Amino acid sequence: MVKLEPEILQAVEKPARYTGHELNAVHKNWDEVRCHFALAMADTYEVGMSNLGLKILYEVLNNREDTLCERVYAPWTDMEAIMRQRDIPLFSLESFREINSFDFLGFTLQYEMIYSNVLNMLDLAGIPIWAEERSDRDTFVVGGGPTVYNTEPICDFFDFFILGEGEEVISEVAAAFVAWDKNSRPGGRKGFLREVAKLEGIYVPSFYKVSYDEAGGFKSIEPTEPEAREKIYKRVVKDLDKVHFVEKPVMPYIGIVHDRIMLELFRGCTRGCRFCQAGTSYRPVRERSREYLRELARKLVDSSGYNEMSLTSLSSADYSCLGELVDDLFADFEGEKVSFSLPSLRIDSFSIDLAHKMQQVRKSGLTFAPEAGTQRLRDVINKGVTEENLMTAVEAAFKQGWKQVKLYFMMGLPTETDEDIIGIAELAEKVARKYKEVTGKWGVTITISVSCFVPKPHTPFQWFGQLPKAEFERRQRLLKENIRERAVKFHYHDARVSVLEGAISRGDRRLSKVIFQAWKDGAKFDGWTDLFKEDVWHEAFEKCGISMKEYNERQRSLDEPLPWEHTTPGVSREFLRREYDKAMAARLTEDCRRGKCSGCGVCPSLNVSIRDWKRDEVRIDV
Amino acid sequence: MYKYRAQLTKGDEIRYISHLDYAGVMERAIRRAKLPAAYTEGFNPHLKMSFASPLSLGVTSDAEYMDFELTKPLCQPEVFDKLSSALPPGIRLLKLKPVKEPKACQGKKHKALMAEVEQGIYEILLPLLGDWDKAVNAVKSYNTASEVNYHRVTPKKTRDIEVKQYMVEPVALSMSGDLLKLTMKIAITQSGSIKPAEILEILVKTYGLPGDMGKALINRSMLLGQGKPLIDLV
Repeated sequence: MVKLEPEILQAVEKPARYTGHELNAVHKNWDEVRCHFALAMADTYEVGMSNLGLKILYEVLNNREDTLCERVYAPWTDMEAIMRQRDIPLFSLESFREINSFDFLGFTLQYEMIYSNVLNMLDLAGIPIWAEERSDRDTFVVGGGPTVYNTEPICDFFDFFILGEGEEVISEVAAAFVAWDKNSRPGGRKGFLREVAKLEGIYVPSFYKVSYDEAGGFKSIEPTEPEAREKIYKRVVKDLDKVHFVEKPVMPYIGIVHDRIMLELFRGCTRGCRFCQAGTSYRPVRERSREYLRELARKLVDSSGYNEMSLTSLSSADYSCLGELVDDLFADFEGEKVSFSLPSLRIDSFSIDLAHKMQQVRKSGLTFAPEAGTQRLRDVINKGVTEENLMTAVEAAFKQGWKQVKLYFMMGLPTETDEDIIGIAELAEKVARKYKEVTGKWGVTITISVSCFVPKPHTPFQWFGQLPKAEFERRQRLLKENIRERAVKFHYHDARVSVLEGAISRGDRRLSKVIFQAWKDGAKFDGWTDLFKEDVWHEAFEKCGISMKEYNERQRSLDEPLPWEHTTPGVSREFLRREYDKAMAARLTEDCRRGKCSGCGVCPSLNVSIRDWKRDEVRIDV
Repeated sequence: MYKYRAQLTKGDEIRYISHLDYAGVMERAIRRAKLPAAYTEGFNPHLKMSFASPLSLGVTSDAEYMDFELTKPLCQPEVFDKLSSALPPGIRLLKLKPVKEPKACQGKKHKALMAEVEQGIYEILLPLLGDWDKAVNAVKSYNTASEVNYHRVTPKKTRDIEVKQYMVEPVALSMSGDLLKLTMKIAITQSGSIKPAEILEILVKTYGLPGDMGKALINRSMLLGQGKPLIDLV
């Protein structure tokens, strides 16, 4: 058991990151359960505590009588230094036990830039970093979350991965462990991996062999064990009303990133933006019922004491009964001073009216995502939003009194030209002028936030070569020069980080040694701009004799095998190919939520169907 | 509006949360308790609540005071039970009293909780690293010094403080098990005060108190106004 002396806690920033004892944290007797699960995020306490997936899995696991689940996050650099200096191992926030005494350490993999932190946490825990070096005594290291649709660059560090939605399968994993343990652990470590490999949605990377062609290109990946499937499909919950959702969130004593209730309305978004990995990986759309959401909202307010609730989803304004749900919630919580918010808005006046209603008087600022500066490019990415839509929406917003608008764009999208970049500036200026037109005065702030496009696996743009860093930076300058309106503020992402993300997100197994090298040389918290060490990463690629450009800048040929296709969210290669062709022709694809089926392959391959409560009323094509 | 005063603890579990975080935790506890709490007006309504003297990070307390308002005059036992059962680990409700506001014709209102605080009593426990006699002498020299200066450095500014002006009584020294125990009564004034951790630092660094500062645990045992615990002022 780890005990931290006052002098340690007095010396670090935000010591309450490490002291646990939060309300609703679950403390079970270690010796009374067979399965001990540590759930981790390789980021700070404040980020980890804000993750909805972890909150759900924490309750699901702790609801099992044979299992306990505790939390662990990445110590900040000040704490890490002390832990290394004093040989303090990584510990959990409930029992303060050493992480390597748990049976499982499960990481949620939210984005590629935390991989170095994953290695750092394994090292701090005293768990061998390479999966093949782990013995029967060692903790099983498990990964899940959004980046699992290409785990190849990190698969040598993990024993297995859970693909897709975890609330059902994680319980199956715990049950399989308990059975294996009761049975005196037949076959040792590998014996257990054989058991979990039989479960749907589980990928055991050591049960596969990768081959490369003579030129060094990825050729194929083949199962080497009878339990290993050729293709692993993600897990998906068919009815979101029938699975456990968070009811008693662990309440932090200190402020966290999302310090409010998150009420998840639905999963999936089929608007079909071609750059968006979430759009392909969470399909199909499945809504919770209005009644169940109401019930959950009540439980969450009562158990947390929060007075803020975010109605979360990939595109919350698309929830079919949103207007009615908001009315219900307003009625249920009248007099309790609970405020509600929508994390993302659709570009239309329905959204504006709703946002107006929800915010009542406080007008904090509105965010829209046109993503591209010209209609041509918006059609290429299938954004399905016109300049007219945007102008109507902002006009409504300005009439309601908003005077801060944030617009999200991407740079480096396929087929992008300088005209598209300048289009971003022009669009922002048109929005600023619209304010003058509507209100008759100046004083609006338009913030444009422009990220660098990273092509992602299992999207129609998975074949595209990413722009080189220098070209991103040239386009950033070009955009800056073209903004003349003072009301327009320009923020852009660090291209250095985006090109690394570009290399890793479409990487293969050979990148594991690069990630290991970079971590060895001091890479950590790469997602934190001030801690990002660009040189360390470039040197790591060089030391390993691997070209970064081969992974991020190379345009893949449409018929080459891709190293991530065996771990799939269910969208077919043929669908992605069709979408690629349509993108090149700037042709749109309908949202299958209410429109025509686009034949992505998810519903038949996962035996699941769309759930939208108003689908039948408004469906265009039945 | 109906005002209540609560005496709460800040336990070992939450030693390292800030004063502001403590207030946020209490705000959520009151909401969980389903008490008919009164809110401020405005765009961003907050619970009407106020606290006495803030506690430094790392210090526990048996004497945290909070005034809060309800829109209905609930009886003391009901408020006490509801609030108690909604508290997180690390906070206990020790006492609760309705605040009797003076009649309007008397022309005065209760002073703000913060303004009522005049003195705090703190206890520090730390391992003895050497002779007891040396410890006795260190405390004695400190107590008899007519003037002690402390150079306070914070991220924002540095300033020199004369410490003895804030000592209400001499520092008392005793043993508690195998730990040294220092008890100090400190004046808390509008113009400033001295922190118990700072007195400890002076005792160790200037007066040679043989104690392990890195393991010192500080607790506030009382906050006084007009010589009485704040809970007895209402």
